[in-house]
Amino acid sequence: MTDQNGRAQPAIGDEVLRLEGLEVQFPVRGGLRNRLSGRPADVVRAVDGVDLAIRNGEVLALVGESGSGKTTIGRVIVKLTRQTAGRIWLDGNDMTDLSGVRELRAYRRRVQIVFQDPYETLNPRQSIYDFVAEPLVVNRIGGSDADRRLQVLSALDSAGLRPAEEFAARFPHELSGGQRQRVVIAGALVMDPSIIVADEPVSMLDLSIRTELLRLMLDLRAERSLAYLFITHDLSLAWVIADRIAVLYLGKIMEIGPAEAVIRRPRHPYTAALVSVSPSPEPPAKASPVSRTILVGETPDAVHIPPGCRFHTRCPLAFDRCKVEEPPLFDVGDGQLAACWLAEGGRELPVLPASDPAPSSAGA
Amino acid sequence: MSGSEPVATRALPRLAERSAPLLEVEGLRTHFQLGHETVHAVDGVSFRLERGEALGIAGESGCGKTTTALSLIGLLPPNARIVEGSIKLYGIDLATRSETALRRYRWREIAIVFQGAMNALNPVRRILDQVAEPMVQRLGTGEREAHEKAGDLLELVGIPRARARAYPHQLSGGMRQRAMIAMALACDPAIVIGDEPTTALDVMIQAQILELLQRLQKQLGLSLILITHDLSVIAETCDRVMIMYAGLVAEEGAVAEVFTRPRHPYTQRLLAAIPNIHAERRTLETIPGSPPDLRYPPPGCRFAPRCPVAMDICRIEVPSEVRFADGVRVACHHYPAGSDGTPVTLPTDAPYGTR
Repeated sequence: MTDQNGRAQPAIGDEVLRLEGLEVQFPVRGGLRNRLSGRPADVVRAVDGVDLAIRNGEVLALVGESGSGKTTIGRVIVKLTRQTAGRIWLDGNDMTDLSGVRELRAYRRRVQIVFQDPYETLNPRQSIYDFVAEPLVVNRIGGSDADRRLQVLSALDSAGLRPAEEFAARFPHELSGGQRQRVVIAGALVMDPSIIVADEPVSMLDLSIRTELLRLMLDLRAERSLAYLFITHDLSLAWVIADRIAVLYLGKIMEIGPAEAVIRRPRHPYTAALVSVSPSPEPPAKASPVSRTILVGETPDAVHIPPGCRFHTRCPLAFDRCKVEEPPLFDVGDGQLAACWLAEGGRELPVLPASDPAPSSAGA
Repeated sequence: MSGSEPVATRALPRLAERSAPLLEVEGLRTHFQLGHETVHAVDGVSFRLERGEALGIAGESGCGKTTTALSLIGLLPPNARIVEGSIKLYGIDLATRSETALRRYRWREIAIVFQGAMNALNPVRRILDQVAEPMVQRLGTGEREAHEKAGDLLELVGIPRARARAYPHQLSGGMRQRAMIAMALACDPAIVIGDEPTTALDVMIQAQILELLQRLQKQLGLSLILITHDLSVIAETCDRVMIMYAGLVAEEGAVAEVFTRPRHPYTQRLLAAIPNIHAERRTLETIPGSPPDLRYPPPGCRFAPRCPVAMDICRIEVPSEVRFADGVRVACHHYPAGSDGTPVTLPTDAPYGTR
């Protein structure tokens, strides 16, 4: 099956992972002073009530700026950070509280993570073979040494490191940046996971290497009906690779829906502003200058989340209700939801006021 | 501020030639010494920058864009050396000047804003003092006046006076980058170089900073050199673009021409590889292979090993630069001297997810 752009559409199946009411809070330093003075300690509300479901073979992009909580969500899913509240389901089974090493191992087989920086993930003294084989060895799976070897080589081959035999014998310093990230992907693949959490997996890479890697990831999901939670700050990247996009702001989902809908018809002012400032490789046309909405100020810190709609302090369309009452995620149809009072009842988003057009530079 | 005067009345350096272009770089070669080996980081780069113009220099890691910038202001690391070429500022050749002589021009005529503001700012000094310092040291401005002007500059870049006494760690990434820009403007330079000035910033903050740079360019009559791996940033902020590959210029010309009708196969591929949120289609083109090792640059065109339309001659002979009627210049054998510049057609990638 292909979509209108000729892209292969893998069959998207049953739900693989579900988050319900996820909250993560971190105590702030200086809490002692508060405790002595009898005040409650300040907390960072990094994730503040997130519901999310990912299906087999689906790419869900989690997009947000620094401080949005996107990385924390990824870490909770792979159980590197503990949630304060909420539940995690895998294939319909509650995985919120895993007791014991065995359960955790079984879970981690299914849910793998790929980090941004292959330089930090790889051990310079470890051969590529040993790196990829390590999760099998640590988890005491994969059968005999000969069986493991086959699995490692097959993972390297799937990650496009061919001939696999040759790459297996190398060390990280003998590889290019793109090849190193492929090794990291092979290390995730060897466990045969159902879902990979990819946290900014290409943001350190040059453009030409980046697209090769993204293609690899998309090819793999088509072959194995892998699901990806693709965490990124780059909305353009999300648009190119994702089936669905979730836009986060200050620990909460502002908008979620099919990529096409979220980008082409955003229903949340924050999404609309992000789309408008996402740079494109086309020079602004003289006749129709792009209208950009550059939000004023910066994201407030997650200790002092504004009351009402948390985005209202920067929203160009905010009105009185936004300051006092937090909007729920309104269903605007076709699987698109937006947490904005303006989206209530499925209404279209009014046009955002444009920032002063950037002065055309002299000589242009 | 004196910078708000029209460009023409800026005081020129003593040795300046009145009729010379603002900046003219010719045949620049900057090499690094790594043990016994030589890295040909910049290997024959020429370009001009006119007054009030914004030039973007783009390319991937190791293409020589940052080395070019550091050569301009004489801030090369100890193992790097300009081995050939000239860098003429108002006709004064900076490439041949001694370090002491160069200091007259650095910051006063050419200033630079780096990517990581946290590393470039002094963590234990208030930003107001840091912006005032170059005025005191290089222009001999009195302390009091320098602080007054530094406050003005910080306000100009969007840092309120009340925040001017903050230390760098008390500011957000975007605010620190604004402080860096104020510092670069302290001596009222003619040229500001931004080396990946927005790369580590969130997209909304990036938009704020780019808008600020454009506003300053217009308001102060600045000339801007923007160095970035992100061609989208150049498309939106620059007049001209120079695309570098493996130490050489692949293509250079007006943004309106190069981005809408790219000619060099590398430019075509690079533009196609950028995820474009405003495009009709979702595409994800690749450039197989990686840039050459600049210790042993390949003979002929340096892009030939990765070029989908490379011919035999491309692997033997270095292509010379050809300039077309629209002012764009390209170094590619598909455009021999006298070519009308019709872009060469490249094969497209297969749709993805179909391996």
